[in-house]
Amino acid sequence: MRKYAAVVIFVALCGLKIPLAFAQDTTLTIRAVEGLKFDVPRFVVRPGTRINLTLDNYDDMAHNLVVTLPGGRLRVVNTAIGLGAEAVKLNYVPRTPDVVAHTAIVEPGKSEKISFKLDQEGTYAYVCTYPGHGFVMYGAIYVTRKPATVPPLDKDPNVAANRKDDMGGHAGHMPNHPYDLKYPVVYRTFMPDSGPASIAVGLTPTQSYCWDAGACRLRYAWTGGFVDLTDHWDGNGKKPSHVVGDVYFRDRGGFPIRFGTADRLPDVHFKGYQLINRNPEFRYLVNGIEVRELIKPLPTGRGLVRYFTLGPVAGPVYFVCKSGDGVKYRPSVGKIQDGMVRLPVGTKKFTITMMAE
Amino acid sequence: MKTINRIGTLIERIGRKKRILIYLFLSVLSVLSVSSAFPSSHFPADTITDYYEVETIQMPKGLTAETDGLAIMPDGRIVAGFHRGEIMIYNPKTKVWKLFAEGIHDPLGIMAISNSEILVMQRPELTRIKDTNNDGVADEYLTVTDDFGLSGNYHEFAFGPIKDKKGNLYIALNCASSGAGIFPEVRGKLDTLGRPGRMYSAVPYRGWIMKLTPDGKLHPYASGFRSPNSIGFDANGNLFAADNQGDWLGTSKLYHVQEGKHYGHPASLLWKDGFPHVTPSKLPVKMLDSLRTVESVAFPHSRIADSPTQPVLDNTGGKFGPFAGKMLVGEMNHPYLVRLMLETVDGHIQGACAPFLVGSGLQKGNNRLAFAADGSLWIGQTDHGWAGDRGIQHVRWKGKTPLELADMKLTPTGFALTFTQPLDAVTAKQLANYQFQRYYYEYHEAYGSKQFDVKPVPVTSAELSSDGRTVTLKLAELKAGYIYELELGKLRSTTRQNLLNHLVCYTLNRLQRNTQANP
Repeated sequence: MRKYAAVVIFVALCGLKIPLAFAQDTTLTIRAVEGLKFDVPRFVVRPGTRINLTLDNYDDMAHNLVVTLPGGRLRVVNTAIGLGAEAVKLNYVPRTPDVVAHTAIVEPGKSEKISFKLDQEGTYAYVCTYPGHGFVMYGAIYVTRKPATVPPLDKDPNVAANRKDDMGGHAGHMPNHPYDLKYPVVYRTFMPDSGPASIAVGLTPTQSYCWDAGACRLRYAWTGGFVDLTDHWDGNGKKPSHVVGDVYFRDRGGFPIRFGTADRLPDVHFKGYQLINRNPEFRYLVNGIEVRELIKPLPTGRGLVRYFTLGPVAGPVYFVCKSGDGVKYRPSVGKIQDGMVRLPVGTKKFTITMMAE
Repeated sequence: MKTINRIGTLIERIGRKKRILIYLFLSVLSVLSVSSAFPSSHFPADTITDYYEVETIQMPKGLTAETDGLAIMPDGRIVAGFHRGEIMIYNPKTKVWKLFAEGIHDPLGIMAISNSEILVMQRPELTRIKDTNNDGVADEYLTVTDDFGLSGNYHEFAFGPIKDKKGNLYIALNCASSGAGIFPEVRGKLDTLGRPGRMYSAVPYRGWIMKLTPDGKLHPYASGFRSPNSIGFDANGNLFAADNQGDWLGTSKLYHVQEGKHYGHPASLLWKDGFPHVTPSKLPVKMLDSLRTVESVAFPHSRIADSPTQPVLDNTGGKFGPFAGKMLVGEMNHPYLVRLMLETVDGHIQGACAPFLVGSGLQKGNNRLAFAADGSLWIGQTDHGWAGDRGIQHVRWKGKTPLELADMKLTPTGFALTFTQPLDAVTAKQLANYQFQRYYYEYHEAYGSKQFDVKPVPVTSAELSSDGRTVTLKLAELKAGYIYELELGKLRSTTRQNLLNHLVCYTLNRLQRNTQANP
């Protein structure tokens, strides 16, 4: 577990997919997107992490990505403006000790990969130094052993203001729909790090989760925003939607309910959902028995309360709640033993409260 | 109009003497343009707009009107699904749009069950969406079937549903595209043998048409489809599917779909019961060719259609003009629809296609078609990152019958062309008014196909029936396996109308049994 720590922290804080990663080595793609923005507002790694970073330019103008030492971003941006005739040749990157790593100028539709290692703790920046971009187009790299000390996204002074504006969940000036979104809100869409039949649910503008209708289970939850579907809606829909905010829970235990025996994975079938005051109550069959699941936000703090209703079950029912997925579990009935709750025989309704650790 | 105003302003600025000269010049120009459009006739310049009227529907502000699905509700309201997941209902009487449902993943097919309940074919499943508390907004979204694979590839669209007389539903599943990969997690069984190829089928039943029986079970029905957007029945309950030019499709096609048959795109064969466990596209082309059932209609690329969409039956009984009982197919890349003239020859359906509503004001992107009870046609339009347009248009027949080809039938010696109006006998009998050429498109893996063996086919005689409506043409040669493309000349009717559309393409798969080798 420990060797994946850097990756886990990263995933938990930005909700991005990490295709491949080993100890102290992480790979990620940051997109330059419309409106002078990097799609990743910030990320966190442990000291000594090698970062293999790809800048993928989804915008219709050229950008670069320059990694700067803590406190060095504005110095680099201002020096870049003064480069004059040399600017293009230097890709708008001044040769100063503040620059840790950089890409060349990346044209629209192109990408470039860079690799660098950050050993010392501190808040580094990545910034586009193309003239006029550097004051608004940047993000933060937290190199720290204590990820809990990272401030909430909406209060983070190291994150670009135009990324904090997106916290409501939707970027851009054009309306997304012919109406304002009302919460709770449901989108069936392509979500990262989930099956292809996923459902994004925004419980409030800042509390959201991803439910996988293929696997019939909650996959992850986040706070700080909802989803940005701009990329998925664009063109013919190749790109998945983005999580907006910080993922605090990511399921690692697989489908949680067991009927009869604790160790046998049941067959599941998604049967749909009923909106109750706009909030979806999911219905699915588990070995032929109907289960209903309604998820509400924790009244205070980060977390969810999951309300389950079971059809008639003969024999014991188990609920898997393994630690290490970012939350503490509290069942309404039964006790957690060895990462599992054994529900009293005859239980028809129960809740599982999940509180962010 | 703008140009005329500009010319007017220009003329005002010029001196009096010169003005007269310019007026003279303009009047000569206008005489020239009129005479070149109607060189040998004094007929009124009738156009399609004299017969059909196209209304562009005002869409809700803030809606990205990529119209995925469209249907008519029993009470006459229009229900439409859009790319960003909205299902909205339009009342044609009040012209007011209302939101019915949200959050649907590409609602590419809608079927109205009642005024408060619809079936929606969305990417992950067929869903029954219902307003259970009569507040006009859906609150129940129940899965009807999701018993098919989903890889996360963007091209895995799902089309339908349509219902047969026995209550079975049919849906069509698009193949994935090599334009993108698949998700690390898929729904359904992943088979990597299905990955190679331009369009691929790595999870079950991509490239199939599926049948959902009333017991809720989804059955594989027919295979060999690439991008079957979409499906429809003819007047006799025959199921048809349109498919798009690409790999293994030399040109776009319309298939008569029958249970158990395979229609040529090999990717789907991976999921055929008892089929060898291999990458189907790697099998010899000859073998693949022998497995397939050919199309009923080929749409010659760029001549007729680049991207055909939904086949729909004109079931209006004549309220939409003279083509009742026949089918229309939408088209994405051209600002028109395609009209079909089908017949059964030697036990198999084949026939002709022709552009329809050219110049009517119709946009491109004609993705979904639905006839309302009043006989008018509603058309949902999209582009979805490709060629097309956005919005909804409403087409009404104005009540007068245009001069058009109404039917084209194969004879043992050529074709019989039946028109909507009696023809002027002199022009109808001129052989030069019937220019045929024939060609075929090759069945192969590469994208599209050029036309092979292109040859003009002389017409040796043209006889006009006593009612003046049918011209029987004898051709110098009739050969199965070719498309016969006919360019009609300046035919006119005895009712002083001009022929509106001049192009028609007949897919000659089979000759009539009594056809001689060289008529």
